[in-house]
Amino acid sequence: MDEFHECSARANDVQGCPMCTLVGPAGSTYCGSCGAHKHDGWDDSLQKTWAWLVTSILLYLPANMLPIMYTSFLGKTTESTILGGIVTLWEHGSYPIAAVIFIASVLVPLGKIIVLVWLCISVQRGYTGAHRHKTLLYRATELVGRWSMIDVFVVGILVALIQLGSIMNILPGSAALAFAAMVVTTMLAAIAFDPRLIWVSEHTESENKEPPE
Amino acid sequence: MTALAASRMVCHECDLVVDIPELAVNDKAYCPRCSYLLASNRPNAFSKMFAYSVAALIFLALANAFPFLSLNASGHEQSVTLPESVAVLFNEDHVLLSAIVFATIIGVPAVLLLGIVYVSIAIRLPQGLPGTRRALRWSLNLIPWSMAEIFLIGILVSFIKIVSLANVALGMSFWAYVAFTVFLILVLINIDRREVWRRVQAVRNG
Ligand SMILES: [Zn+2]
Ligand SMILES: [Zn+2]
Repeated sequence: MDEFHECSARANDVQGCPMCTLVGPAGSTYCGSCGAHKHDGWDDSLQKTWAWLVTSILLYLPANMLPIMYTSFLGKTTESTILGGIVTLWEHGSYPIAAVIFIASVLVPLGKIIVLVWLCISVQRGYTGAHRHKTLLYRATELVGRWSMIDVFVVGILVALIQLGSIMNILPGSAALAFAAMVVTTMLAAIAFDPRLIWVSEHTESENKEPPE
Repeated sequence: MTALAASRMVCHECDLVVDIPELAVNDKAYCPRCSYLLASNRPNAFSKMFAYSVAALIFLALANAFPFLSLNASGHEQSVTLPESVAVLFNEDHVLLSAIVFATIIGVPAVLLLGIVYVSIAIRLPQGLPGTRRALRWSLNLIPWSMAEIFLIGILVSFIKIVSLANVALGMSFWAYVAFTVFLILVLINIDRREVWRRVQAVRNG
């Protein structure tokens, strides 16, 4: 028996509402206190997380390979990708900004996807141990993931501001939408993942069905 | 300034059953197992939540009313307001992209704050207001989708990108948006899930 399991709400036939924090009997799908649907994240959490994760992995490629922005200057149009934009910033000597964009647009989404895939696999395979570290990793992905939107906002601002008729124009490329959708789907994956699964796994629950003592 | 009553909670992150003791002002309760912040008693949290929400909404309205940024390149001068910049994306046939940008920087925070204002008023009325629980559920669920602070960093990055091409100036609305973001963050740190729901519940039962 998992030592962490015994003091959890699940083993004691109670359930905490993620919306209003009220403690009620286990098994109810509707919270009488706040009106939220409670069971949501617990049973199909992994399935939902996987679905959003696969979508975000599929979006990651076009987001990084297609042009995020078209710049036309005196009739000549050039396109740039996310990585190309970082390289340009670096060449112009804007090292801190290049680093910020590289972290927010490339490292964070990739790291977030890897962490969530690993968490899902470790829950499914019933790997125990390192509970605290896994929880901290999960919390970090939840906190940091939103910051990937920086590049989408940058494109939006540049497009809105640089509309100088025939002299200079900036238009968004298809990667902008792919990238925004990727950030949204990784956020949905993180929200769908129930962090309680790290501590209370499926297979320890079946052991608990045996009568105590 | 009052202490918050004790209660039993289940940790949202690790499913541990925790008995939270009475919390004095400025006390915080963390989960003993995974160190998640379970409950806190910030001084005058409810008055602040209400006042800061109203302030944030006023500054958001101002941020939409005046020039946001202006650009000066080889004699060309041009300034855009915040709604105009979203409209440019929309008009360039990037409807979905403009919807995502509009929602995360204006729409979601506005709905979230209106919900908090509504709930703040409801818990002060003896008979409450209809739909309070729904408003609070909506507001709390919207929190991760509000990205005002990320937008501000985005503006900073855009600035550095443009600076070699043209002169960019910050408009009045930019500063209004900064004030809005500060108040929004202050609202969010003063929301204590357990206590807000307890107040809403008290009005319903009373
Ligand atoms: Zn509830
Ligand atoms: Zn915990």
